[in-house]
Amino acid sequence: MAPNKKGAQKPKANAAEEVEETFQAVVLADTFETRFEPFTREKPRCLLPLANTPLIEYTLEFLANAGVEEVFLYGGAHSDQLEKYINASKWRALSSPFKHLSFLKSTSTSVGDVMRDLDGKHLITGDFIVVSGDVISNLPIEGALAAHRARRETDKNAIMTMVLREAGRNHRTKSTSTSPVFVIDPTKNRCVHYEEIDRSPNCTGPARVTIETETILEFPELDIRQDLIDCSIDICTPDVLSLWSDSFDYQTPRKQFLYGVLKDYELNGKTLHTYIINDNYAARVRNLKAYDAISKDIISRWAYPLCPDTNLLPGHTYNLRKGSLYQEQGVTLARSCVIGRRTVIGQGTSIGDRTTVHNTTLGRNCKIGRNVKLDGAYIWDNVVIGDNTDVRGAIIADGVVIGKNCNIATGALISFGVKIADGISVESGKRITKTRMDGSRAESDPSVVGEGGEGYEFIHGEEDDSDDDDDENVSVASSGLIYRMPGLSLSSASISTISSELSQGSWPHSGRSSFSTDHEEQDNFHHDASASVFDSLREGVSADVVQLELVSLRMTANASDNQVRRAIVSSFMKHIQQLMEAGKGAGQAVSEVFAKYKEVVERTLFDRQKEQKKDQVDLLLLLQQDLVHRSKGDTVLLFTAKSLYELELVDEEAYDQWWNDERSSATEEMRTVRSQAQQFVDWLAEAEEESSEEEESEEEESDDE
Amino acid sequence: MPATSLALTPGLASFLKSLKTNPIDTSIENLISLLKRRQIRHSRSCATATAYLLRSVISACRTADSAKLIERVQGVGRRLMAAQPREMVVGNIVRRVLGLIRDEAEDDREAEFALSDVGSESQPQTPRAYDDPSLPLDRDSLSIRSEDRSARPPLTSMFSLLSHPEPEHSLPSTPGSLSPGGRLPGHGPSKDVRAEVLEGIGEIIDELGQVDDQIAAYALDHIHSNEIILTHTSSTTVQKFLLKAAAKRKFTVIHAESYPNNHEATHATVSGGSMHDDDNLGFETFQKPLIEHGITVILIPDSAVFALMSRVNKVILGTHSVLANGGLVAAAGTRVIARAAKVHQTPIVVVSGVYKLSPVYPFDFDSLIEYGDASKVLSYEDGDLVDQIDVQNPIYDYVPAELVDLYITNLGGHAPSYLYRIVSDHYRKEDISF
Repeated sequence: MAPNKKGAQKPKANAAEEVEETFQAVVLADTFETRFEPFTREKPRCLLPLANTPLIEYTLEFLANAGVEEVFLYGGAHSDQLEKYINASKWRALSSPFKHLSFLKSTSTSVGDVMRDLDGKHLITGDFIVVSGDVISNLPIEGALAAHRARRETDKNAIMTMVLREAGRNHRTKSTSTSPVFVIDPTKNRCVHYEEIDRSPNCTGPARVTIETETILEFPELDIRQDLIDCSIDICTPDVLSLWSDSFDYQTPRKQFLYGVLKDYELNGKTLHTYIINDNYAARVRNLKAYDAISKDIISRWAYPLCPDTNLLPGHTYNLRKGSLYQEQGVTLARSCVIGRRTVIGQGTSIGDRTTVHNTTLGRNCKIGRNVKLDGAYIWDNVVIGDNTDVRGAIIADGVVIGKNCNIATGALISFGVKIADGISVESGKRITKTRMDGSRAESDPSVVGEGGEGYEFIHGEEDDSDDDDDENVSVASSGLIYRMPGLSLSSASISTISSELSQGSWPHSGRSSFSTDHEEQDNFHHDASASVFDSLREGVSADVVQLELVSLRMTANASDNQVRRAIVSSFMKHIQQLMEAGKGAGQAVSEVFAKYKEVVERTLFDRQKEQKKDQVDLLLLLQQDLVHRSKGDTVLLFTAKSLYELELVDEEAYDQWWNDERSSATEEMRTVRSQAQQFVDWLAEAEEESSEEEESEEEESDDE
Repeated sequence: MPATSLALTPGLASFLKSLKTNPIDTSIENLISLLKRRQIRHSRSCATATAYLLRSVISACRTADSAKLIERVQGVGRRLMAAQPREMVVGNIVRRVLGLIRDEAEDDREAEFALSDVGSESQPQTPRAYDDPSLPLDRDSLSIRSEDRSARPPLTSMFSLLSHPEPEHSLPSTPGSLSPGGRLPGHGPSKDVRAEVLEGIGEIIDELGQVDDQIAAYALDHIHSNEIILTHTSSTTVQKFLLKAAAKRKFTVIHAESYPNNHEATHATVSGGSMHDDDNLGFETFQKPLIEHGITVILIPDSAVFALMSRVNKVILGTHSVLANGGLVAAAGTRVIARAAKVHQTPIVVVSGVYKLSPVYPFDFDSLIEYGDASKVLSYEDGDLVDQIDVQNPIYDYVPAELVDLYITNLGGHAPSYLYRIVSDHYRKEDISF
């Protein structure tokens, strides 16, 4: 490859100053997520061992491979431990491939803070790589780098290149809880839209992606890809840092930064690009599921030469034997024990008689008793396991002592120094730790670890530190360690709902003709407002926030009340429909949404005291108009009318006026959609006289179910 | 240093460049990590890097004592070998350097004795390794000189006692006569040892540069007109061998593509594409492919080897390393070819530089085989399969000695059963397992 390199550099001799600059990299040693709890309470995540080698070693190895000369390492939690580790490692030695390795401390609580801090320090001089401290890759970066530089030559606004690994539809290394979707212009490899699909089990509806109409119109060709492993290797220019600084509220590099920058393309004019690889290994240990998958990948040599027998750490002496069995020198095996395939065994470990070990990583100086069954377990250093114990698919941290006749089920996480007494069963998915959030020792819970044991059950969120919106995925992600979750696999069919979503995207235009004579910018307001409200609804943000956002948008666009209502109606209905598609009943969906966001609707109606309920009628008309184009529009309209009444948002008179308004019965469609609401209006009229009759509404509810 | 930023990806070239400027310990660590990361791979790159490194180690070693030198080289050598035990040439070069130091030390001691009686020419160290009667005498003197130094045998062999004495006097500048002579006036044995060893390493490096041409010199003895030759992998040694014969004779080459680890390089070699292997980096410039010499080259998939074997007159193979028992560790697929050739009684010729000859005896040949990247066999995209299938991708094959008919090294042609002699000529017993 080197000759090609030289050949390529000769023609652009004018780019000499570019060659001079040192190649820098930023390692985000802490990604400010809590997916590795409870282990991360005592150790920084990047020092957790993967196939008995700390994660950070793989990342630094990758950077060394790439020829990086200057590394900035950002520590987060437990940065003192990390610093100590790094200072003692070969990376600090004179022979380190890096000319500089700076350890930067900051009080950051998010990736965004780190980037802004970095921008403030003015350390970055040229193009640099940003990786998180848990990247494992054998990718030679120069292809991506050359592509990035070539793009920079022609277009100064191409500020970032993301390296993505192609991986088919289902892949163990891909994240199962959220699935990133990249919309890419294949002619320029430009990423034009990014979204994360929530695939956690509590979101059972079809996955959807919202692509703006303009995007579709602008690009003749678009790839919508969901088959990519995002290994968060980004080649950035210093402009990226200033962009982070400009948007002070961005926290996460993908969900917010990437999404935001792409959305504000008109504003900043920066383009982000992708570099898709399909022949090297690249992955990120983003959660415990990935930990499991990547361990397997490394042991089965997909990440070659990053294998245990490469002995990345100076003291390691792993040897490869037949059947992906890696063994260090100085392992004591009983004659009658069975060591199966895909096993890693560290120095000083002894395994007793009749013990069987399969698919397991064993650290150093472990003592495994007799007749123990280990399958799919990750056992770190200095662990003692008593006789007749059964361990499957669990992670057992340093210094754990497990008694005799225990049973550790799949997905159990046993943190540092826990002691489990004899004969205890640890159920699937349980997490046991000794340390509290603040680092102090907790009281032991004998019901969990038995008499004489040490440790208590860790329940996520007990001392909630949810600084990250990925938090809600934590439990899912960790339990995903063992579960394949076949039901959750996103089929390609559901992606195709984008097209139907798109056709719906055009509805406001048809609605406009009959109601208002908006100008272009007012149309923009509608677009922005409904999108923003819709996003907020989907994320379940509180009503105040929605209201605030709406007000600010309204101020900037100087929008009329009618427009605000229209935006609300369209976003609410869209959300309700989504809930219904996810399997909720119409009535339930409607009442849930309106109950939660009652205030938002209330603040758009100003005619409560007046005789002529113009605003309320307008709202109902908009609703009706909107629902014409939606499936089950008539039912939704009925329930909406009902809940608006129950929440006292719309008065009885307004219903009457609406019903008699000629606009509400102008077309055949309008009449169809309101047909079901007929009974409600009739009932209202009757109720004015006999307010006791309420069975009817109950009947309605039941016949909908 | 703009020089290092130019060569972005670390490799042999960047290592050799940095060797001049970096302190020695840094260079050692650097090479260890390069070997670990497989950024320096293939026998010759490893051998060259090791030789250059040891040269720097010795020149940086300010000690006068040869025992200390040996200790130092052993220490470095152990670490290098531990870094990538399957690149056996690293060990070979280390052993040869150790042998050089021991020779010089012994020469010294004997020179001191010899000061009283001047019969230094009768030392047991002097006999050459040219014990092969088939050795042609028309080789260029340069090649003789280089291999001569490196091939200086530590032990007297019975073969060499009977061997033709001609090379002896054709080389007046042999080390046997030179070193005592050079040392006589100075009386500073300590300083000399290092200088001599450095010179010796320089000759090993020269040998590494010339070995392919030396082997190719035998090509016309082995390749005849209108033969059909089967080969495998993109080995430059084999290519040069064939090219040399192609200059004079017309024959046909069947080239197995050695999928999946080397097929791209093989395709490039056959078609004369611009892709360069690490192997030939820095040694030779781009060469015309065989087809431009009017040779018919047929590229076949590895699976077709057996079907075509009945037509093949000769199999010529390159290798990763040669073991003391005459077996060899070569690119995966070699064993299949060797077996097929055996069935059809087709002669198998292995071309290999002496530097690839390792004194290691393959008691456990599994441990000599490197397992590579599984994704070359099965695409990593196929998530369902990746999850459920264990993929193994051995990069090397072990070929037992009985399948090979002839080895051609830069010293000439040898039967597999004879290799132990060359081993004992090249490596000292005390260095075989250090």
